[in-house]
Amino acid sequence: MTRSDEELVARSVSGDADSFNQLIVRWERPIYALAYRVLGHEEDARDVCQDTFLRAYRALPGFKGQAKFSSWLYRIALNLCRDWIRRQRRAPISQIPEDLDPAELVTEAGPAESIEDLVARRELTAIVEQAMQSLSEEQRTAIILKEYHGLTFQEIADMQGCPLSTVKTRLYQGLSMLRRQLERRGQGVAELVKRT
Amino acid sequence: MSQSYTCGETGALVAYLYDECEPELRESIDAHLSQCGSCASEIEGLGRTRRQLGAWTPPVAELGFQMPPPAFDARLPWWRAPLPAWAQAAAATAIFGTGLLIGASGGWAGDGPVAPVSPVSTGASTPASRNDVSLMEKRLRAEMTRLTAAPVSAHTSAVPGEAPSSNDEAIIRRVQELIAESEKGLRTEITLRSVDLARDFETQRRVDLASVRETFGQFQGVTGKEMREQREAINQMTNYVMQVSQQVR
Repeated sequence: MTRSDEELVARSVSGDADSFNQLIVRWERPIYALAYRVLGHEEDARDVCQDTFLRAYRALPGFKGQAKFSSWLYRIALNLCRDWIRRQRRAPISQIPEDLDPAELVTEAGPAESIEDLVARRELTAIVEQAMQSLSEEQRTAIILKEYHGLTFQEIADMQGCPLSTVKTRLYQGLSMLRRQLERRGQGVAELVKRT
Repeated sequence: MSQSYTCGETGALVAYLYDECEPELRESIDAHLSQCGSCASEIEGLGRTRRQLGAWTPPVAELGFQMPPPAFDARLPWWRAPLPAWAQAAAATAIFGTGLLIGASGGWAGDGPVAPVSPVSTGASTPASRNDVSLMEKRLRAEMTRLTAAPVSAHTSAVPGEAPSSNDEAIIRRVQELIAESEKGLRTEITLRSVDLARDFETQRRVDLASVRETFGQFQGVTGKEMREQREAINQMTNYVMQVSQQVR
């Protein structure tokens, strides 16, 4: 039987550490993905992900369930990402490899994906990552939360501490900028999208 | 927000794009898009950008975090809480010392299921010290026998407040001397055992290190060669794919 987040939270608060570990299993991938897309560094994203759960675990008795558990986690992760960026005093730069390591490609390719397709996917990922760098932190975060985590406008507004209309503006401006960046690359991107 | 769309209203366009608007507004925008090429092109372009964003996947990472339960452990009563490191070390030392004392006194030798461990290189000093200890034990037993066989009156006269007789003083002195000798013998035995243990440990460590070095050398030789061959094959394959890909483009 699959327990809801709320049930697992309640059991964790009453001292059942195993329930909290189930929450980790459920949410570690999305939190890691969020941290990676915001920070652009694998190791940092992993650290932030771990720290997010550690903080959540400590603060769990104070979690009253006003928001969804996932929204609460996202908020913790985003705050940590923001702290991380400030502390490191660096812009979020994605890890775009200078050259592709064939051995790495072979291990990454799934059984149904050819190496050629995998190379195309990696190229497109690099292009999108580069384009995302041109956005402000607020625009990037809004797009990441909306595109990859499916949060509502209102949830993003609550998380970013701004009016709902500001979220829509950030999304529109961010998407428009990305569109320009990607269209500048023209036909190559279109082909890569078809292939992926 | 009004439920009818005005041309160029970006907030409404975004809500339409993400399908997060009221049905009335959606109908209004749909109607507008069929007439306005500019807005239709805008929606189409933003939708295409969203599809491209879908290709951005984070690298696969080994996560598998597990939460240690420090916060909840704090609620345990003190007798169930884990000991601090210093207390564990003290307990281990006490147990080790007790074991040495028991071993030195020959308590387990030949009368129990646990066989005494014989050091690899004990040298000539250990048997001599064992003899000392066994001699001392014999002397202690002899003294105890002599004391128990002594007249009862000597013991019964020792009432509280009464000055001890000269016989009692001699016995006490003798017992103290024996205890001192016993302690000295045990100390010597413990020191000798410790030196032996350290020597055995060092010898075993050197043997293990040599064995590990040898095994690792063999392993490195084999895997290094295989890795080189595999890497070359993969490089050739990737170069070929890249060339074909460029020719197709």
